[in-house]
Amino acid sequence: MRPFSLKQPTSIADAVALLAKDPEARLLAGGTDLIIRLRDGTIRTRMVVDLKRVAELDGSIRAEGAGLAIGAKAAMTEIAAHPVVRDRYTALAEGALVVGSVQIRNRATLAGNICNASPAADTSPALLVFGAVVIATGAAGERRIPIDELFVRSGVTTLRPGEIVTGIEMPALPARAGSTHLRRTRRRGHDLASVTMACVVLESGETRLAFGSVGPRPLLRVDTSGTLADPAASEAARTTVLDGMLADASPSPGSMRASPEYRLAMLEVLALRAAAIARERLAAASPR
Amino acid sequence: MTANLDGIGGSPNRVGGAARVTGGQAYVADIALDGVLHVKLVTVDAPRARILSVDAAPALEVPGVRLVMTPADLPDPMPRFGPQFRDRPLLAVGETKFHGDPVAAVAAETLDAAEEAVGRVAVAFEPLPAVFSIDAAQAADAPLVQDPALRPDDPFAGTNTLREHRYAWGDLEAAEAAADVVVEGTYEFPMVTQFAIEPHAFMAAPADDGITVWSSIQHPNWLQRVIASLLELPLAKVRVVAPDPGGAFGGKQHAKYEPLLAFMARRAGRPVRLVLTLEETFQAVRRGAARVHVRSGFQRDGHLAFRDIDAAYLIGAYADIADRTVAKGSYTSAGPYAIPAVRIRARSVLSHTVPSTAFRGFGNPQQIWAVESNMDEAARILGIDPVALRLQNLAQPGEPFIPGDTPADGRWAEAVERAARRIGWETPAQTGRGRGIAVGLKSGPTTGLSYSTVRLLADGSVVVYAGTSDMGQGARTIFAQIAARELGAPIEWVTVVMGDTIVVPYDQQTSASRSSVLMGNAILAACRDIQSKLRAMAARLEDVPEEGIEVDAGVVRLDGRELPIRDVLVRGLGRLGGEVIGVGESRKEAEPDHPLGGTAAFYEFNCTAVEVSVDETTGDVTVHRHVTVSDVGRALNAEQVRGQDEGAAIMGLGHTLMEEYIFDAEGRIRNLGAIDYKIPTTLDLPARLESEVIENGDGPGPYGAKGMSEGALLCVAPAVAAAVRDATGVVIRALPLSPERVWRALRERDAAGQASGASG
Amino acid sequence: MTAMDVPEAPAAVSLKLTVNGRDRSATIAPHRTLLDVLRADLGLIGTKECCLVGECGACTVLLDGRSVDSCLVLALEADGAEVVTVEGLARDGRLDPLQQAFLDHAAAQCGFCIPGQLVAARALLGSNPAPTRAEVEDGLAGNLCRCAGYEQIIEAVLDAAEREGPAGSAATRSRPAAAAPGHGATGTGLSDPASVPDARVAPQ
Repeated sequence: MRPFSLKQPTSIADAVALLAKDPEARLLAGGTDLIIRLRDGTIRTRMVVDLKRVAELDGSIRAEGAGLAIGAKAAMTEIAAHPVVRDRYTALAEGALVVGSVQIRNRATLAGNICNASPAADTSPALLVFGAVVIATGAAGERRIPIDELFVRSGVTTLRPGEIVTGIEMPALPARAGSTHLRRTRRRGHDLASVTMACVVLESGETRLAFGSVGPRPLLRVDTSGTLADPAASEAARTTVLDGMLADASPSPGSMRASPEYRLAMLEVLALRAAAIARERLAAASPR
Repeated sequence: MTANLDGIGGSPNRVGGAARVTGGQAYVADIALDGVLHVKLVTVDAPRARILSVDAAPALEVPGVRLVMTPADLPDPMPRFGPQFRDRPLLAVGETKFHGDPVAAVAAETLDAAEEAVGRVAVAFEPLPAVFSIDAAQAADAPLVQDPALRPDDPFAGTNTLREHRYAWGDLEAAEAAADVVVEGTYEFPMVTQFAIEPHAFMAAPADDGITVWSSIQHPNWLQRVIASLLELPLAKVRVVAPDPGGAFGGKQHAKYEPLLAFMARRAGRPVRLVLTLEETFQAVRRGAARVHVRSGFQRDGHLAFRDIDAAYLIGAYADIADRTVAKGSYTSAGPYAIPAVRIRARSVLSHTVPSTAFRGFGNPQQIWAVESNMDEAARILGIDPVALRLQNLAQPGEPFIPGDTPADGRWAEAVERAARRIGWETPAQTGRGRGIAVGLKSGPTTGLSYSTVRLLADGSVVVYAGTSDMGQGARTIFAQIAARELGAPIEWVTVVMGDTIVVPYDQQTSASRSSVLMGNAILAACRDIQSKLRAMAARLEDVPEEGIEVDAGVVRLDGRELPIRDVLVRGLGRLGGEVIGVGESRKEAEPDHPLGGTAAFYEFNCTAVEVSVDETTGDVTVHRHVTVSDVGRALNAEQVRGQDEGAAIMGLGHTLMEEYIFDAEGRIRNLGAIDYKIPTTLDLPARLESEVIENGDGPGPYGAKGMSEGALLCVAPAVAAAVRDATGVVIRALPLSPERVWRALRERDAAGQASGASG
Repeated sequence: MTAMDVPEAPAAVSLKLTVNGRDRSATIAPHRTLLDVLRADLGLIGTKECCLVGECGACTVLLDGRSVDSCLVLALEADGAEVVTVEGLARDGRLDPLQQAFLDHAAAQCGFCIPGQLVAARALLGSNPAPTRAEVEDGLAGNLCRCAGYEQIIEAVLDAAEREGPAGSAATRSRPAAAAPGHGATGTGLSDPASVPDARVAPQ
């Protein structure tokens, strides 16, 4: 690995100042993406800023009104195990569980996963369907960025230079909901997804579907017709609705993980399954 | 008191196991040498390139860099080595022949400095046309991989065919005319890599008038010969230290970068160390890919009338031992069957790719994939049960199923019946599930030579010297078991010394599952040597004729009495003490007129039966049950045998379901490393994996043992494909059976069904 | 290009951490990983290097009680932390029940993945003392083994859980124990490793 200096600031202000001083500096959270890329040379930097000693950042997951506030240091292990995440934001817990092995989950943070902005990130679909909000702090102060406005393409977000994610908010959901996360991989063991998807069905009949690894960024689509939420709807009707929702998927022809044809086919297969599971979970969900 | 310690067949804990569970086991990369220089290889980003110039000067400016080795620093002509052809240069000179073919090597005080320097070695090169597939390599105008001058009298020298092997018996034409049904198909086997968890590691250090080389090598003595020859040193001045490899599977049999390191050590006057990255191991070793066409003729009642096989293996840029895998893999590829007429033609085809080498199964899995799939298709066409079709055609024990070679050496039908019974073949599978069965055969070693020295020390403890490489198969343990039994010592009193050519006598190699038999017999012979010396001692002490004395398993029997060995030993050694040294040799001579240079010492035979379900919307294959039964003669250590068989089974599932190299148009491997080359994890196991052994004591090794540990890999792929066929009706002839490949086959089936107007 | 073009490396930094219960320190370049420092600077060669991308688990250590791939941790991130490697599993010269179980179940073949498997298993049992087989599979899913079919490793972990945990803990297994028939010990009997040799005979 090419040498770099490591800074371990203890305050957000110090961290922001370091980034201002060296715009090429890279932020280190769990390291499960950054270290790989520093080693293979796809990222080069003279300074790595480790956020783990910043006092204002923490790994807590706590109620915030009727929603949830997830700290920037929260790792996938905590997120997948948290009872409120499992119960109310199930798709997020499921996505966090498949990010990788237990060793990876113990280190990988949700904030880091978001900032890495891989189109195949397994937490992104859930964050999209739940309408998560990313809190970021920079030289210009704090911003609240709806997650759907954050992703641009692989490795690129709308975060401004020098901005640091300080937390993620999961908004309160309407009374009852059912959600799930599904994905396609090449083996049952840990793997990067060739399709990754989350679906939430709300009591109102609204169905939100988000899917990744089929284009430069994960996409969120919402069905307000109620068709996908309706247990009595025909598969033909559902497929028609889904075709519209999935129309903007544009899987890369160059991928070695799966062909575009297979990915598009699996997108539909998974979407039907995900909607069915979400419907069942909604039906089983107790009122809040 | 009678010591009756019968240590064979049970499962004493692995000798050397404690080091493995405490972190004390030192693999090559764990050995620290004072003053060592760290080496990194310099390669160019092209599958084949003309090297115009190599400028080391910029690299030498990096602080800490001590040496940049280029062809200019090596003898001219460039020394070459290789077990079959001396085709591999120490460094590519003039032309690189595959992605990863090194053109220079940097040695520096730290790995960081070496890595920095690698990027600064200025290599001017011109990419050249290259071939990465069988068709491209065999095209009339294909660029040649190997310089024709390297094999001047070879009719194939102007082509990329390295060798063609032809085996035949019987009257094929007559058999073709008489057959009722002919079943044929072409099958593809992908490029896969060994992926031992220990990446290859090498070190070399100048020694007084010679050199010491450390390597994760399976064949220390072979490497010693190669180094001695290249450095023009006597064997006695070349010391090869071979710690237990962290998995090898054939990928560590033959010299790779040790010769280069030896020259670098000499040049630098200091020890040098090269540990490959995992990505570099994918560029260093792999299995031969293959395209196999099988045409089999049957009588309507299921009897095999003939089999005609045409195979091409895509080997790499340097021959390594790849052509031998083609020869051996082809010789038995008609299968463990009694077939009156057979014709086998197989070619090793050079390409500008990673040099393929030995890999568990040694050329057999590729053709077994084809032949056993062909058997399954035949069963379906003939309307005969696949188990019955195998049983009907299997060679009987003692039957010379390959004329001129070792007859069938096992009751192979027993393995098939056991596997079928275990999986419940007679009862229908649950709805939605399919079952498949296949058999696999591989020849053991065709020649062999192992020496062992055994020392019975004054207190009855034992030292065994055996040059086998224990790469996980547990050789050390069974050698200790043998000596313990023969000399009446508890296994904890036996020390086994391996892996150092200055101390351990000659062993030809560790491969072909030979070591239980060959080295086992050598150790047995050494113990017998000790026993005969003890007989002489007893005769002298007890004043009894030697002929009346028997020494067996720790006990001396004479005159109607039984004495423990130790009793005779201590009295016999007398006041001066000392020890009793036994020497044993186990030899299988070459037979020059034999197509393989020798008959098979034994066969490995395995039957694998699996039960799967297929998710028809995604193509996912789930293995519910995997039964593997191997004919092993005698399981010298039952738990180790189980570990090897189950490991081989899972490794077979790897190439069956998920493993393959993926290339881009420029011949670069796209999935170097663990992120995109997937091997089975604990989450990829069959729901039930069961292994059994057939033990009829009918092997040539100690206590009737045969070799084992490759068998359970051989026929996994055709068994799974047969089960997929049983579950879905689709026949797939290429591997791996990835979800996407299976899905495509299912969609084609559906489309064909619609096209033919079939309903449902 | 001259030596001036080679960027100057950042200054070495002091690292202090606890490894296997002992205070250790080193002065290291900041870009070095915990794996590399454990092996090269602290002489703890038990933790292994393989994929270096967090897929194989050969480098697994416990960092403040959690299993992590040490190839993806910068050494300085562990400053002030507690690290446990395979060398720290045994206590007072006595093997950890997991280590003993691995021996008794023949779980180690070539042994290269075993340090990582043991540490991952230790972490698993630490948070889940009575895992089901599925939970063991999940807990070890980040530890590749190429030698084994994983069965004996899994059985060893389940067995260790039983030995350590409350008596009669319900660890379900889906296959018979190692010594049962069907695993082929149809030959001559088991040698008893506990058998005491004939009275040690001292040399003259």
